[in-house]
Amino acid sequence: MLAGAAAIFGLVMILLVFSFRRNKNSGEEEGQIRVWIIGLGLAFPALVLGALLAYGLVVGERLLPRDGVNLVQVSAQARRWEWRFTYADAPALETTGVLHIPAGRPVDIAITTADVIHSFWVPRLAGKLDAIPGHTNTLRLEADAPGTYQGVSAEFSGAGYDAFAFQVVVHDESDWAAFLQGQPE
Amino acid sequence: MTELLRILLAPLVWLVSFSAIYGLHGLLCETAEGSFAEFPVQRFVLLAAFLLAIALQITILWVLYQPRFAAPAGLLRFVSRAGGWTGLVATVWTLFPIVALSTCT
Amino acid sequence: MRALERHRKLTAIWASETGFKGWFSTVNHNDLGRMFLFTAFFFFIIGGLLAMLIRVQLATPNSAFAGPEIYNQIFTMHGTVMMFLFAIPTFEGLAIYLLPKLLGTRDLAFPRLTAYGFWCYAFGGTMLIVAMLFGIAPDGGWFMYPPLSSAIHSPGINADFWLIGITFVEISAIAAAVEITVSVLKYRAPGMSLEKMPIFAWYALITALMILTGFPPLILGSVLLELERAFGLPFFQADLGGDSLLWQHLFWLFGHPEVYIIFLPAAGVISTVLPVMCRTTLLGYGWIVSAALALAFLSFGLWVHHMFTTGIPHLGLAFFSAASTLVAVPTGVQIFAWIGTMWKGRPELHLPMLHILGFFVTFVIGGLTGVMVAVVPFDWQAHDTAFITAHLHYVLFGGFVFPIFAGIYYWLPHFTGRQQFFRLGELAFALVFVGFHVTFLAMHWVGLLGQRRRISGYTPEDGWSVINLISSVGSFILAIGIAMILIDVLLHIFTARRSCRNPWNATTLEWAMITPAPAYTFASLPLISCRDPLGREPALATALARGEGYLGVPREGLRETLAVDSASGRPEMHVLYPANTRLPIVMSAVTGLFFLSLLLKFYWTVPLALVGVIILAWRWVWSLGLRDDPAMQPVGHDLTLPSAATAERAPGWWGSVFLLTANGTFFGALLFGFAFLWTVAPGWPPPVWFKPSVLEFALGVAGAVIAPLAMRRAIRKNRAGDTPFSNVLIALFGIAVLGITCAALMMRAPAPTSHAYGATLLVLGGYGLFHATVAALMSGFLATQMRLGFTSAKRRAAFPIVALWVKYASITGLIILSAAHLPGMLS
Ligand code: HEM
Ligand SMILES: [Cu+2]
Repeated sequence: MLAGAAAIFGLVMILLVFSFRRNKNSGEEEGQIRVWIIGLGLAFPALVLGALLAYGLVVGERLLPRDGVNLVQVSAQARRWEWRFTYADAPALETTGVLHIPAGRPVDIAITTADVIHSFWVPRLAGKLDAIPGHTNTLRLEADAPGTYQGVSAEFSGAGYDAFAFQVVVHDESDWAAFLQGQPE
Repeated sequence: MTELLRILLAPLVWLVSFSAIYGLHGLLCETAEGSFAEFPVQRFVLLAAFLLAIALQITILWVLYQPRFAAPAGLLRFVSRAGGWTGLVATVWTLFPIVALSTCT
Repeated sequence: MRALERHRKLTAIWASETGFKGWFSTVNHNDLGRMFLFTAFFFFIIGGLLAMLIRVQLATPNSAFAGPEIYNQIFTMHGTVMMFLFAIPTFEGLAIYLLPKLLGTRDLAFPRLTAYGFWCYAFGGTMLIVAMLFGIAPDGGWFMYPPLSSAIHSPGINADFWLIGITFVEISAIAAAVEITVSVLKYRAPGMSLEKMPIFAWYALITALMILTGFPPLILGSVLLELERAFGLPFFQADLGGDSLLWQHLFWLFGHPEVYIIFLPAAGVISTVLPVMCRTTLLGYGWIVSAALALAFLSFGLWVHHMFTTGIPHLGLAFFSAASTLVAVPTGVQIFAWIGTMWKGRPELHLPMLHILGFFVTFVIGGLTGVMVAVVPFDWQAHDTAFITAHLHYVLFGGFVFPIFAGIYYWLPHFTGRQQFFRLGELAFALVFVGFHVTFLAMHWVGLLGQRRRISGYTPEDGWSVINLISSVGSFILAIGIAMILIDVLLHIFTARRSCRNPWNATTLEWAMITPAPAYTFASLPLISCRDPLGREPALATALARGEGYLGVPREGLRETLAVDSASGRPEMHVLYPANTRLPIVMSAVTGLFFLSLLLKFYWTVPLALVGVIILAWRWVWSLGLRDDPAMQPVGHDLTLPSAATAERAPGWWGSVFLLTANGTFFGALLFGFAFLWTVAPGWPPPVWFKPSVLEFALGVAGAVIAPLAMRRAIRKNRAGDTPFSNVLIALFGIAVLGITCAALMMRAPAPTSHAYGATLLVLGGYGLFHATVAALMSGFLATQMRLGFTSAKRRAAFPIVALWVKYASITGLIILSAAHLPGMLS
């Protein structure tokens, strides 16, 4: 995407620079309209944009949650300025500021809020999804490898917004089982 | 006023059908869960609406090319037909995801 | 009559009062255009200073410069000031100043409305700045999402300043938009058909129409949110049947078109200035008009791309992703038409051209990143990061500030009658260009590294320190550049040497006059036969000054012009403008009192202010009345025209049509809100439904049917020479009945503070009551005029106008009553 954009930008710049040349053979208005407006103005953007759009939609479609096997379900509730996570597999468990999930399994995160709008964002695992009062939004993500990932809230929420972050801890299979048993690793 | 109307009609109809189909999609996915006996009702309704919108645009464009209704020659005729084409292309371009994508996820 | 004598006489007729007192009573577009521009740039400086504070704060990690409470006010005010108090008013000012001159007429359609709009803008803007000085400025970000901006989470008065101040300023934008629309359609030189209109007028027309349909959703949102904050009507509270997503829809229904409302006038400037700089004509005039129109429409179908992360199903997002890519096509058409123009001509690197080149570089990058964020998965990552802030500045600065600087340097000789003398401008441009790109390229980068927008601080561990420092340094270079441009302009105004009449060798009409422009613009009005009148007839200016055009003979104390048929430009009527008056400033002060009372919760002054507005509005229209039938007026070249007071469709009718267009959009948005809450909001159905009443419904429908019919008969009878006093009274009666049923709806709306359903019914009823009251007052006004002999079969212009408002009140009233009563009756 970036390279394509740079190429288009370069093309426009070259055309601009060359317009300052003294002896251009410009021909008559009809032909100019055909080249500049119909060719470069209409057809060229339409082609590029059509391709880009198709690409974007395909990628977006692939990111959609399908019926997952082995699906893990957790809930994330935001409030100013703290995330609370609960787990379908261990109803008594609640963690604050740290979300635990297993590696290699699809996870559905049900995102809600107790006060204003927030947004759940773990840049390395998935895109953003907002927490909106009265609605539950479900984000599907899957972490390949165990480890700790940084997450932030990405919707402005007032004075404590700067430091409104959380962590996602991804466990391997045995750690995950231990976590659900209520034994911190 | 008629001059203005001729120019604005097709894009206005696009705007209305676009918003209406977006709203319709929201409603369909909000209310009817799933499908009746493997028959994807929602997609069918959306497709029908899409085709209807295209048909409308084609009609408008056709009218704009009829000597009886067309604008007087010159700029106004050009702009009104450009408006007609804008409406048609916008309808096809912005709503074609109905054909290609999954409906309610 | 000699040219000089004509000049003296016309100046005496058109000039404002001398000294600073003149500012308060002027209704002349020359003064008001300048006042708009001056004020807008004053706010630009404030917004720029705030931007510097933002960059100071972000220059270093763990900044101790301002705490979040203050910082949140700073960036909110920066965005708000730039968008509402700088960008839109700059367009208004430029259009107000230029349009009559480009169109070959003497003033805009409604001079007093121009003044009213200016004062609303000045007062509303001042309110916001005063709030900032007291440290109680809004702090919820420029899009003010509830519930963060609701009473629970923003208890202070800060958010109220935004909602009320901005609404006040938007009234001014609507006023200017009505003004511009009617002026472009009706107030042109004889012979200037739509086809021969200068391209800037097309852009201004399209932009004005967009303001009329783009701003009402935000006004509605602000009204609803303020009602929620002040009286607890829960439109945006999820637990009481409201939904905060409704605000996002309403805001972005305004917010995206807003971006194009800002860009299109700038594109108009480029389309005007660029061909002159290249010694040629614009390539593909018809294509550019079509592209601008397409852009205007498409921009209304993009709003959800600001809501890609709110959890809307993918197909819904895909529609808007597609629309957002499509909108780049008409933009591309314009860009390449301009480059084609450059190829066609021989570009010369004058100062305006430099800024146009700055525009090309910057705006193209902004457009490309815009297309990127139209791709849904990319936006899921980029949304709400510094990448977006950088993108939006490439679009706004590239697409508005550079072109406006180009325009300012281009028209400066017109404002001042002087020519460029100092060479500061070139250096300033270089600083602005370099500074801008350093600042915002860096912000793209740090955004991709994950820096969120609107944070007041970050830690050294984030690893963003160096980039932010670079960005801040860049912003200071930028600021110095802008300061130099302002100094350059001031030096020019006060010290540069006199210039000749048409320094750029332009071909548009605004250069066919002495500079600085005289108060009356044209000593006589030209007959237009092509798109480049000055190109075809370089001596046009002197011919007009000698009185060889239309209306070349000044008549004692009368400000005269012509109005034309909107498509063909055939002269249609003779118009007399009102002269200097303090009515507009008084009226906007009283309007301000109304808003201020709401803001400070002095509710007992609210009705006082309302009555004041009514009295002033009454005087406003009353002064237009004529006691005798006006005669046909010779306007020169053997042409005689009827007076506007005798027209079936007078300027006031046109103004009403477009004001009602905006009003209808507001109403449509309200209905959309009702439907949205009903179907999408959690917390429905409401605990109690409204009890329908067949009696109320029937009465209301009867009133709504009778009133417009009675007005129709009144128009017919009046035309036939009768005095249809009784018919107008019947219309008044019908409308009153409709108003009463709407009031009943308000009284019986179930528990408005405990569910959004009742709250919405209350607002719907209020809307109906308000418009019934307006229509009733207008009918009463008409009846009074008739009694006192101000109407006749010829002086009939008021009838269709009142009929229009009565019809509008009836139709909306019918819809409101149906929406409230029918669901209950049917189930
Ligand atoms: C004069 C040079 C300018 C500089 C250095 C500048 C800088 C900035 C910065 C650093 C931010 C946001 C920071 C953040 O949220 O993290 C910002 C926000 C913003 N700016 Fe500017 N800006 C400038 C001019 C403009 C202009 C001309 C406009 C519009 C016409 C504009 C409109 C906005 C808006 C709408 C926001 C978003 C405010 C919000 O998040 O609520 N800025 N600007
Ligand atoms: Cu947008």
